[in-house]
Amino acid sequence: MNSMIYKKKSPLLFFLLPAFLFLVVYLYYPFIQNIINSFQAISGLGTRATGLNQPWYANYVELWNDPSMRTAVKNTLLLVLCTLVFQVGTALVLALIVDRIKVGAKFFRTLYFFPIVISATALGLLFNLIFLYNGGMLNQLLQNLGWASANIDWKGEKHYFFTMLLPILWQYVGFYFVILVTGLNNISTDVYEAAELDGATGWKRVRYITLPLLRNVICTCLVLAVTGALKVFDLPWVMMGAGIPLDQSWLTGTYMYNQTFTRGNVDYGSAIAVVIVVLGVLLAQIANRVFKEKEY
Amino acid sequence: MKKTLALILVLAMCLTAFAGCQPTTSATTATEAPAATEAATEATAAPEAAMEPVTLTVVTSYGGDDGNRANYEAALAGYEAETGNTVLDASATSNEDWKAKVMTDFETGTEPDVLFYFNGNDSDAIVSAGKVVSLDEIRAVYPEYADNMKEEMLVASPVDGMVYSVPVNGYWESMFVNTKVLEAAGVAVPGADYTWDQFLSDCAKIKEAGFTPVAVSLQEVPHYWFEFTVYNNGSTADHLNVPASSSDETGMKWAAGLEDIKALYDAGYLPENTLTATDAETVQLIADGQAAFLIDGSWKVGFFQTNCADHLGDFALSYVPAKGDRQATDLIGGISMGYYITKKAWDDPAKREAAVKFVEYMTSDEQVSVFSVTAVTALKNGVIPADSLDSLQKSAIAMCAGATSVVGAVQDKLTSEQRGDLFANVKNIVTAKITAAEAIDSALAK
Repeated sequence: MNSMIYKKKSPLLFFLLPAFLFLVVYLYYPFIQNIINSFQAISGLGTRATGLNQPWYANYVELWNDPSMRTAVKNTLLLVLCTLVFQVGTALVLALIVDRIKVGAKFFRTLYFFPIVISATALGLLFNLIFLYNGGMLNQLLQNLGWASANIDWKGEKHYFFTMLLPILWQYVGFYFVILVTGLNNISTDVYEAAELDGATGWKRVRYITLPLLRNVICTCLVLAVTGALKVFDLPWVMMGAGIPLDQSWLTGTYMYNQTFTRGNVDYGSAIAVVIVVLGVLLAQIANRVFKEKEY
Repeated sequence: MKKTLALILVLAMCLTAFAGCQPTTSATTATEAPAATEAATEATAAPEAAMEPVTLTVVTSYGGDDGNRANYEAALAGYEAETGNTVLDASATSNEDWKAKVMTDFETGTEPDVLFYFNGNDSDAIVSAGKVVSLDEIRAVYPEYADNMKEEMLVASPVDGMVYSVPVNGYWESMFVNTKVLEAAGVAVPGADYTWDQFLSDCAKIKEAGFTPVAVSLQEVPHYWFEFTVYNNGSTADHLNVPASSSDETGMKWAAGLEDIKALYDAGYLPENTLTATDAETVQLIADGQAAFLIDGSWKVGFFQTNCADHLGDFALSYVPAKGDRQATDLIGGISMGYYITKKAWDDPAKREAAVKFVEYMTSDEQVSVFSVTAVTALKNGVIPADSLDSLQKSAIAMCAGATSVVGAVQDKLTSEQRGDLFANVKNIVTAKITAAEAIDSALAK
């Protein structure tokens, strides 16, 4: 039976076709249409194009000169960097600690993974209350402890990036934590025992045994973190809305959404979407090359 | 066996993938512009399956935080009990996102059966595309449709001069005050002769007393202040003029209005976090007795009734301070929204009757009276007086009674793209990142 499948290739095509059609209809066609839209004049969401822009590449010129777009790209790249360092980094530290404890490992796995199952919108609303200016949890806490004399505007120019970043990092730490813990579990105890006999304990054990053997898993996490950070949208949108403060917190995703759905600048939003795709492909390629897995 | 199972799974996947692509009769017809002959034919054809209970999809702006949300929910329940029909309500708070979503639904053929929406320029696209049904067409089949409304107050579409929507209540925009805060700051409740200079002087006193003078989120809703500061720099006669550029007469008037907002920001009369706070956060300031003044609309009365029931007496309606040719008693207002029946529902024999009944129910004298205790209506017989009015409602009625003129909002003359750009730039104007003239030109270029 199995040999039949491998000899005749046509059944394979038959099984691949539905998924291919699905992608063509729901991904490639909209994607190509989006590229076309970016060159056209579309005055409102869902309305027909009235023709090509004058010149046809006008949106891309505007993108180049748009300070909010520059802010969005800068913030997105910064977010990618922070994700790599703090999200995967924190997950790694937590995984190494949990791997060493004998009691409660399962509890911590569930605990750290839990934020992922909560909707980003709900988390955004939750953190909005925490960072609220008047009567927010954090401001109340700081004032009650005597660490602040007045309300702090956590979404103001001084703190906005931290306010936006913290919930994003917090939400996905658990995701990488679970992947890394699974990777740690796959390292044979024999290796550790042999290392111990050779005198490798504590930090040496981590540095010379765990991290090298976990390299491929860490690389996978880093690639996922890069591509994941590029797609972050819902949480910052709920918390920072229209680039709060003063157009400084835009990410490429939130800026595209704002231009398309709030401002009705559909063709410009399409141009931003094209840039997001190009940026995504580029960064994913770089991440794949930099964090290439090794064969052992 | 495995092949059969695999085949079934593949077919199921195909069917699932393309289920949403199947055109329905109503969706197809909804995309076509109405032909006069078709309308005439439809007008004489009574719906056969009209009496069967149906499910209506309805979209309104009576979202979660609307002052009339509770009334709306009660009205829906009343309609469902009376007709046996079911209403799938997809209402949300009116803002630019909501408007964009409504338009997208129409463009993608997923529009509701009944829509409560704006009747100015905002609805041009759906009227032009023939996606809503005119009162003339509905009355050809249902002659008594909206006959409780004053014809002259039904707002015609700018597209073709025909009426498409049936209003519930009009709106006014004016100034809410927290009387407790004013008292604590030693400031009198503003009267009908309130001037801009008095207002600035009062703001200084209020600030000195440790309160926030004006509750406004410039980041999210600078709309009301824009409207009145522009009005203050012009007159009722020219308020609805839209500039061609920042350098013409109207453009300079707009720029002066925006500069007035900047002056309030520079003087520290707005909330400290006005550039980062949401509208809900700043409104809460006046509700909590931390701010004195709030410009908002008639729909905000319900907010205070719901959220400040235990200290409703702390709030009153006053007039927005005036300067130039405008008197404080000159208000922004009008009838800007109404119920539309979509072509999709009208062409569906099962839903036509239900949609008509729904609009008739929601715009009946009884319902309009519930929704419009303090607002303008188009009812021929006027509003049925409420059994008892609370202090804020009485204050609102007194404020309306003192109005010397009512003019529409000039921002409704802008496209959503222009409006979005202009209001997004208010925060940049007050922080001197761009000038008011640059913001106006940027918006007009959209």
